[in-house]
Amino acid sequence: MLNFIAKRLLSGVITIWFIATATFFAMHAVPGDPLTQEKAMTPAVRAQLEARYGLDKPLFDQYRLFLGNMLKGDFGISFTQENRRVNDIIREHFPISAILGVAAVLIALVGGITAGSVAAYCRNRWPDRMVMIAVIAAISVPGFVIAGLAQLVIVAMNNAAGKTLLPVAGWGSVSQIWVPALVLGLGTMAYLSRIMRASMLEVLSADFNIAAKAKGVHGWRLFFHHQLRNAVLPVVTELGPTIAAITTGGFVVELIFAIPGLGRYFVQAVQQLDYTVIMGTTVFYGAFLVLVVVLVDISYGLIDPRIRLHRGRS
Amino acid sequence: MSLLNLESLQVSIGSVQAVRDVSLSLQPGECRALVGESGCGKSVTAMSLLGLMPNAAETAAQHWQFAGRDMAHLTERDWRKLRGNQIAMIFQNPMTALDPTQTIGAQIAEPLRIHKGLSRRDAKKRAIALLERLAIANPAQRAEQYPFEFSGGMLQRAMIAMAVVCEPELLIADEPTTALDVTVQAEVLCLLQEMRESSGTAMLFITHDLGVVAEIADSVSVMYAGQTVESGSLTQVFTTEAHPYTQALKRAVPSLENPRPLEAIAGTPPDLRKPPTGCGFAARCSQRMAVCEQAPPPMSVGDSHIARCWLWHEDHPRRWRDKDGFTNASVIGRSRR
Repeated sequence: MLNFIAKRLLSGVITIWFIATATFFAMHAVPGDPLTQEKAMTPAVRAQLEARYGLDKPLFDQYRLFLGNMLKGDFGISFTQENRRVNDIIREHFPISAILGVAAVLIALVGGITAGSVAAYCRNRWPDRMVMIAVIAAISVPGFVIAGLAQLVIVAMNNAAGKTLLPVAGWGSVSQIWVPALVLGLGTMAYLSRIMRASMLEVLSADFNIAAKAKGVHGWRLFFHHQLRNAVLPVVTELGPTIAAITTGGFVVELIFAIPGLGRYFVQAVQQLDYTVIMGTTVFYGAFLVLVVVLVDISYGLIDPRIRLHRGRS
Repeated sequence: MSLLNLESLQVSIGSVQAVRDVSLSLQPGECRALVGESGCGKSVTAMSLLGLMPNAAETAAQHWQFAGRDMAHLTERDWRKLRGNQIAMIFQNPMTALDPTQTIGAQIAEPLRIHKGLSRRDAKKRAIALLERLAIANPAQRAEQYPFEFSGGMLQRAMIAMAVVCEPELLIADEPTTALDVTVQAEVLCLLQEMRESSGTAMLFITHDLGVVAEIADSVSVMYAGQTVESGSLTQVFTTEAHPYTQALKRAVPSLENPRPLEAIAGTPPDLRKPPTGCGFAARCSQRMAVCEQAPPPMSVGDSHIARCWLWHEDHPRRWRDKDGFTNASVIGRSRR
């Protein structure tokens, strides 16, 4: 098992190096640089700035410099954020994105598993139809539309109640987490409920499910001990890509709900060609996703003993 | 008093009349074989006896009694208390009938936890003891393993353990040896027989293997196209096979002592979406008569030996000769050879 984890981590490191390299050169291939501004600056000022940020060096030297600093865990200083270090930006703003993301993943998981199971139990009856219609709607409508609609609903609710039931936007209290998290997780929830429905249908007609019933197992025990554990595996498989979808989708939702997460900096950095921030956030997200995928792989074994490697139990 | 008394069970699933008229009775401790070809309704009968037919299926019976209880109007709650406790089932394919994500021990212990309210530890102890009785080496370690770590024969033994752990009064075995290697089959049969004898459990043994029937059964019911067409004791059905279908079945079994070409039964079973109004076997029967257009009621062949065939009507010429001193057995025997 340790061997397996080590192997996965090593391949993760290679993946991150690849992401960093590709991003670095792609970024430099974009016309302009962080110093390009509407206001023209004198060549002397420009040369001084270039020298200070190391932009006057050949591209390959810049790359080597960047890799060396990255290995030390230092992503440098932002070009646009008034001498803020990229590490500080990540440290301050990533936890906010993480809380939002974790809440969204939890909502998507619980909601998807529940909706999928209900649909499978009521196959071809009205609850199934309702779930499937909702799924198609949630998958088809983009997140920013749903986010706007959700805000309209909140405003209408608050007006009707005559007081603030739910804040429309902002960050800082628990009540401000749930609506953006739901919006962020909705598409994934819909996707997961489809997968869950299909795999639950398979389990419901499986021999072992009938055999368990023949033993007198019923109700929640049947659901949790025999059905859920077997049906949930395809959903867990999707968890890695799901978390990726939710973290990337987070940028838009953070913007609409005025949440000071990392996503905003990521988008801004790309727009302003803030080299250091682009590299810092990209590598950081890449590393984060690689870690998540490894964790998901490990969690398979906990759920399905057949995937447990090298008899992990003993 | 008989343990199970089922008269005229009918099950339809959508437009398919899977079981049209099945009657079964079992004494406590008796082993009855339910014989018939694929699709004749054996498994549907078994599932109905466990109350496990899907909601879409319609089940009805003229008379259905188990352990002195009227089963026709049982609520789902009552069924749950019965399943795995008083009536248990061994499934055909142990490779798919065990939950891949649960340890063998936990699966065997589960009925004890549900029905007998045993603690996790006590239930596990009983499960391990049972595995040991079923000749599984290192039962304590084996109980901690998962189904994918077991061989087919061992899985079927685990399946048997799961079924007998609550010492049910009726054990339904749905082709328990079909999915196994021939070498393992005999072993599993022996263990089943042992378990049954030590606990006095009655067994309904579903199979299409007449060799196995001869080995294990006390009595036999033969099913064809959703009906029981013949039933009687093992000797009655094997020496005086009364229904032409039973006769044809026996001719389709190879024999070592008496080598002869095997005879397949010509034709195919009727479509149970539109079952024939007359005798279900008439279309394939070599002794068909005009009267076979009408459905034959069950007719007595001998003491508790019943066949659903006009040949055994009291107005049939063979029956006249009975009165002149022939036995049924000799008449049928002579007519066949």
